[in-house]
Amino acid sequence: MANVFSRAPIGLRSAVNEGAITRVSLILTAVVFLALFLIMPLVLVFVEAFRQGVGAYLDALKEPDALSAMRLTVTVAVIAVPLNVLFGLAASWAIAKFQFRGKNLLISLIDLPFSVSPVISGLVWVLLFGSHAALSPWLQAHDIQILFALPGLVLATMFVTFPFVARELIPLMQEQGTTDEEAALSLGASGLQTFWHVTLPNVRWALVYGVLLCTARAIGEFGAVSVVSGHIRGKTNTMPLHVEILYNEYSFVGAFAVASVLALLALVTLGIKSILEWRYGNQLASGHRH
Amino acid sequence: MRISIKNVTKQFDRFPALGGVSLEIGSGELVALLGPSGSGKTTLLRSIAGLEHPSSGQILFDGEDVSNLSVGQRRIGFAFQSYALFRHMTVLNNVAFGLKVRPRKNRPSRAEIRKRATELLDLVQLGGLEERFPSQLSGGQRQRVALARALAIEPRVLLLDEPFGALDAKVRKELRRWLRQLHDRLGLTTIFVTHDQEEALELADRVVVMNKGEIEQAGTPVEVYDDPATAFVSEFLGTVNTFQTTLNDGIAEVLGTEFPVADADVGEGPQRRHGPAIAYVRTHEIELLSREHAVGIPAIVRAVFPFGGAIRVELAVEGYDMPIQVEVPRAFFEAGEVRVNSGLFVRATNARVFPQYN
Amino acid sequence: MIPGFGISLGFTIVYLGLIVLIPLAGLVLRSAGLGWSELYRIATDLRTVNAIWLSVWTAFIAAIINVPFGVLVAWVMVRYRFPGRRLLDAAVDLPFALPTAVAGIALTALYAPNGWVGAYLEEWGIKAAYTPLGIVIALTFIGLPFVVRTVQPLMEDIDKEVEEAAATLGAGRFQTVRRVILPSILPAVITGFALAFARAIGEYGSVVFIAGNIPYVSEIAPLLIIIRLEEYNYAGATTVATLMLMISFALLISINWIQAMTRRRYGNG
Repeated sequence: MANVFSRAPIGLRSAVNEGAITRVSLILTAVVFLALFLIMPLVLVFVEAFRQGVGAYLDALKEPDALSAMRLTVTVAVIAVPLNVLFGLAASWAIAKFQFRGKNLLISLIDLPFSVSPVISGLVWVLLFGSHAALSPWLQAHDIQILFALPGLVLATMFVTFPFVARELIPLMQEQGTTDEEAALSLGASGLQTFWHVTLPNVRWALVYGVLLCTARAIGEFGAVSVVSGHIRGKTNTMPLHVEILYNEYSFVGAFAVASVLALLALVTLGIKSILEWRYGNQLASGHRH
Repeated sequence: MRISIKNVTKQFDRFPALGGVSLEIGSGELVALLGPSGSGKTTLLRSIAGLEHPSSGQILFDGEDVSNLSVGQRRIGFAFQSYALFRHMTVLNNVAFGLKVRPRKNRPSRAEIRKRATELLDLVQLGGLEERFPSQLSGGQRQRVALARALAIEPRVLLLDEPFGALDAKVRKELRRWLRQLHDRLGLTTIFVTHDQEEALELADRVVVMNKGEIEQAGTPVEVYDDPATAFVSEFLGTVNTFQTTLNDGIAEVLGTEFPVADADVGEGPQRRHGPAIAYVRTHEIELLSREHAVGIPAIVRAVFPFGGAIRVELAVEGYDMPIQVEVPRAFFEAGEVRVNSGLFVRATNARVFPQYN
Repeated sequence: MIPGFGISLGFTIVYLGLIVLIPLAGLVLRSAGLGWSELYRIATDLRTVNAIWLSVWTAFIAAIINVPFGVLVAWVMVRYRFPGRRLLDAAVDLPFALPTAVAGIALTALYAPNGWVGAYLEEWGIKAAYTPLGIVIALTFIGLPFVVRTVQPLMEDIDKEVEEAAATLGAGRFQTVRRVILPSILPAVITGFALAFARAIGEYGSVVFIAGNIPYVSEIAPLLIIIRLEEYNYAGATTVATLMLMISFALLISINWIQAMTRRRYGNG
């Protein structure tokens, strides 16, 4: 038993560790920095939201414009996310399972929306469908409203969230190679059966991860939808846009109340994301393994 | 430099990695620490280096207790299994590192550092590769850079952790010969860890066989091979057949011949002379006899592997569950008696018998 | 032979074309249609220049601030175990997960003269909100995870034996960190810096509330695009957008170049 409690002679430490004082001060600096910089704004959202009590908070959320903003946000996400999932699956299947020329270019192009300012991601749709655009007379003749309406919001959201699913799936599927699929096909499975029973289970947690990030961004997107929305209260305002309007009207409790719902969603996202990384880290693209 | 290891123990959490190891290593010796994984050989090497701190016991360099010296103060040259080269530095800068990080008052001039590093690279036959990065070298070259880097600080002892572990068979043999030459030239006390018995037996002056955190036997390659002190060493070295047998007044019967119990140190109490025992017989310590001689135990040839100078034969022996492995000279095989399913007689010419303690 | 190549690649390209490439090409065509002289006139307009310069320099400072703090946070997360570590590790991604508008109003309220932090800064005569300093604060918030998450995996991959090797060669802990560990993660640090920088240049939601939005002083480039659009000045909006795209792509290319260089030199990594 004596051995359990013995330690290296005083003054010695493991060859590759810092001293206790260095260690503690580094940890403290990091913790204080993160607390001041990341946690405090989060706490503030909830404090401000409840500043006038729970009643005022709930009233702010039950306000018709707030409710319609929530509905619109959910509608946009429900359309945009599945489409991007479909794209992510198709793109990763083509890129990971086959060899073709221009593959690296294709991968770079898929990541392109990440390096475009959100405002520009909205602007491109205004240029395409706005009153100046070539398409404009045709759209008007057929009474199709894209800008300042749901289609515009969906398109802008799709542009911004475009890479999320694909970039989770592509590296993982490339790592996994094609042997599983080839085995399934050699056993007589059809292409669809192979995809459904072999490929999809292999990437399911990465898919969940990608969908999670894609949804979070779709719900929270601000810059791009701000450009295409037209800011019509109760009609084309998503939750983040509604936050902006209330804030600019100095309706702080309302703004922070809606913001707190978004913050809560962000926290849930982070929670699920962490659980995925800890529990299924080995089944995610290598960058997310802990 | 002489190294004395005195009753060193090391406890990892609750699991003992070293349980009271004592060993003397003479100046200029080339010593192999041999054992299976988990035997504590690497922990012992790292304890000598100062990378691990023993839970108890002492390590002395030339009689001086180094327990309170940090790894950097001990002046040891350590070559890591993964080579652990600094991948963002050129080969030359890797080798020069130990000189560059010296305190200013002991640090040679830039020109001197460069000269010494270049000389060392010539010594390890890597002259001309100074400006390469480690990723641009082969495994064997990386290992030699790691050695040159370790030698740059003029170490008092060279410690090598599985020095050839990550190399393919051919490079491994070349490098082994080269390391022996280097050792003979520098006369540096050298300790290396390996799980490869051939490497240990061929390269070392002395082999220390370890198991479960203890030293089973330390001796010259011939001593440990011919005269294994324990059951573990008998089984670990060479290719052996294992037989379950019974001791009767210190004598056991193996394949029809009687052998005395080995003179082993059992730690506590007198050695048992009666009861269950285990016998180890190397593949070349079994004779195959044709029908006319008719001594030994009848056996039937199950398989023959006719490659190389000695032919390996697998036989089923009456009264034994497991087939036995025998090596016979090629000439015997070519005489034509050893064929699959032919009947022969087997006899052990040597065996090491150890009482079985449970 | 695995089936589905034609349909999956076809769908990928059509979708990519419709959602990303054609709209972006429209922007480029539109700016090309303006002609060089018009483009030059708008690009050199003082308000445009000020807005872009403001976006670039505040983004640069924020990314610079994130380098030491990002490396420190990554180091602490990878190397030490302390209560609450997992929670903090998850919190690092908060700026990714929190909608930018929420971050924007929260930071503004925090750093406003009567805010929790702003009140203290006010005592020292520092104005944060509604000044370029506020922009830098918001952009630092946005950029932190880029540095941490780029550096962290590389730090986890550092071979313990490499540090031990440095120790056996006589290097002290500080020397090991400075000469061995930091140089080996330098490529990741630069990449993280560039990612944070690129993201911050285009950032809108978290900045627009705290910036003050005074033309020539605290008006960022993305906001100028929106203002030009509201004025139906499509040429102006397009030009600013094109300039920003050029800066983003230049950064993107340099990130790829750094990574390719690193791979070639140090093997994968």
